[in-house]
Amino acid sequence: MNQHLPAQIFMYTAAAFAVFGALGAAFSKNPIRGAMGLLVLILSIAVMFLSLHAEFLAFIQLIVYAGAIVVLFLFVIMLLGPSATSPADKRGLLVRAFGGSLFGLSAIGLIALCVNSLLKTPLEVVPATEDFGHVNAFGAELFARAVVPFELSSALLMVAVVGAIAVARGRHTDDDAQGNAVARQSSATSVAATKES
Amino acid sequence: MDILIALSPIVAVSVGALLLMLAEAFSKQRSGIALGAAVIQASGAVFAGAVWIYGLDALSGLDVLKPWLIVDRFTLFFDMLICLGGALASLLAGGYLREHRIERGEFYALMLFATIGAMMIASAGDTLTLFIGLETMSIGAYAMTAFRRGSQRSTEAAVKYFLLGSFAAALLLYGFALLYGATGHTDLAGLAASLKGNETQFPQLAVIGMLLVIVGLAFKVSAVPFHAWTPDAYEGAPTPATSYMAVAVKAGAFAMLMRVLFVAFGDERSMSWFAGWPPVVAALAVVTMSVANLIAGRQESVKRMLAYSSIAHAGYLLVGVVCATRGGEALSSVLFYLLTYTVSTIGAFGGLILCGSYGKEAVSYEDLSGLGKRNPAVALPLAFFCMSLAGIPPTAGFFGKWYLIKSAMDGGFHWLAIIALVNSVFGAYYYLRVLVFLYMREPAAGAPVAVPMKSGYVAAALILAAVFVVMLGLSPDSAIDVATKATIAVQ
Repeated sequence: MNQHLPAQIFMYTAAAFAVFGALGAAFSKNPIRGAMGLLVLILSIAVMFLSLHAEFLAFIQLIVYAGAIVVLFLFVIMLLGPSATSPADKRGLLVRAFGGSLFGLSAIGLIALCVNSLLKTPLEVVPATEDFGHVNAFGAELFARAVVPFELSSALLMVAVVGAIAVARGRHTDDDAQGNAVARQSSATSVAATKES
Repeated sequence: MDILIALSPIVAVSVGALLLMLAEAFSKQRSGIALGAAVIQASGAVFAGAVWIYGLDALSGLDVLKPWLIVDRFTLFFDMLICLGGALASLLAGGYLREHRIERGEFYALMLFATIGAMMIASAGDTLTLFIGLETMSIGAYAMTAFRRGSQRSTEAAVKYFLLGSFAAALLLYGFALLYGATGHTDLAGLAASLKGNETQFPQLAVIGMLLVIVGLAFKVSAVPFHAWTPDAYEGAPTPATSYMAVAVKAGAFAMLMRVLFVAFGDERSMSWFAGWPPVVAALAVVTMSVANLIAGRQESVKRMLAYSSIAHAGYLLVGVVCATRGGEALSSVLFYLLTYTVSTIGAFGGLILCGSYGKEAVSYEDLSGLGKRNPAVALPLAFFCMSLAGIPPTAGFFGKWYLIKSAMDGGFHWLAIIALVNSVFGAYYYLRVLVFLYMREPAAGAPVAVPMKSGYVAAALILAAVFVVMLGLSPDSAIDVATKATIAVQ
């Protein structure tokens, strides 16, 4: 027990930070503070991954979530303006409150169920192998056992790229169903221009 | 080599999609792209048929794909169905997009990738590949919905579809995560084994995971009360995209639903009437049929009516899924129904496309008034396919409903069969209303009327769909035989 104490203190500190960050993200009125709360949450989860020896996951968590997703959120917030707070929309408040409390209750119920059955019969803990969580082990898993879904995900990335292009290009090149000859012509020339360049 | 043969349908469409994008980028001529997309998807169907005839027993070395992808007759049936729907929808797109001046090659690329996603779902043997396929299909459908960016309605529809679809995907993923937590398996066979052996430490977790998965699946097949996105997305999307969503996306979603429910949750306890999923799905089926038919009867827009009708058809299909828990022919009747629904729905949307032209699109019932007298050749397809959707005897729709209700009666689900029957009678009301407006009404003076378009693509799609509807309506036996063989793998 004693030799695990520092690790446990580390884990619980990270967990406390994660809860703090999650509450901040959920309850702050200012969107930038919300994004920062999310950042705290993501960082503390990365720390927890580290203490579980999942180093690769910890770094991916940092690079993808903290590096890309939070930055993307910040970009959106900056585009909308930092003063863009959520409007005081009272519509559907009851439904939202109902949905939220239903989700909260079921989450609490789930945790209670798991803790209850864990207290009755503790899980067998299998010690991690030497290379657990390393990039090597991860790569071997990804490119050997899970090579089929890895290859399939290329189609997913492809459709996302094509979809983004289709949606972005569509804004300038079409007109409403009303029929707008001017827009039509200018779109034709702009398409031609992009083709030549 | 055997792996390549087994995966040839999906490989054909993937390679075709990449080639089509290259062709679109480098060719000046646009008109062939739609035909190319149709041919590529048709080739996917042909490859699936060829593998079916070649025989899966003759293929060896498929263990490499385990547990990620399953290639069985169920997969091949859905490959054929999805590719057929996709090919017909891309023919419709070839006429519609040009007429409405939004023709850009991305549409066909998106459709092909969505088809690839749907085929991945049909062959998925693991929740991971299932989810990748689902997202590939859904992202293609979201982008196709948003394709007419100049129209606010299309953009709004796409945003609604995207948000609710992502929400559904999140619920589904949450369910998969809980199931993994309970059993330690992500593959469907492993999940089934550990649920059957009851060796999970957290049975409650498994139940909650199963419920979340069912909710996510219900969103994707647009069952009431998870249907809110469907009418808006179907109405706002360009009509070929709508027909694609109503046909191929729905077929993919039902492939997923059947594979998950009958393979992963196929043990006796999960399939029992007291502790499993059948009562949940039965309730969904009853609510879906009744609510969708009631709302569909009150629509003023034909496109929106067809959207609600596709929800109602999802309800009938769910009846078949429930009845299949007692074995029998119910599951093959579901597959056959999907086939008849696919050709009838493509035809109905195609008929609607044919009735309108640029700036004078046929949307509401009023737009169609008197069209049957002014232009009988154009009104005929819409009337014919609406009759098939209503289930009037010489058409495919009749046998689809007949086998579904018959198998429900055989399985002892008399009350479900009666509810489905009452609903299909009520459903005939709003399909026949289209005929009333086409042939018995005159447009009000000065009211805008739809002006028919001319397109070889749309005509080709309609003729092909009509051939299928008539063939399935006159001699359904061979198709039913195929559907029966396809279900053996799942039951």
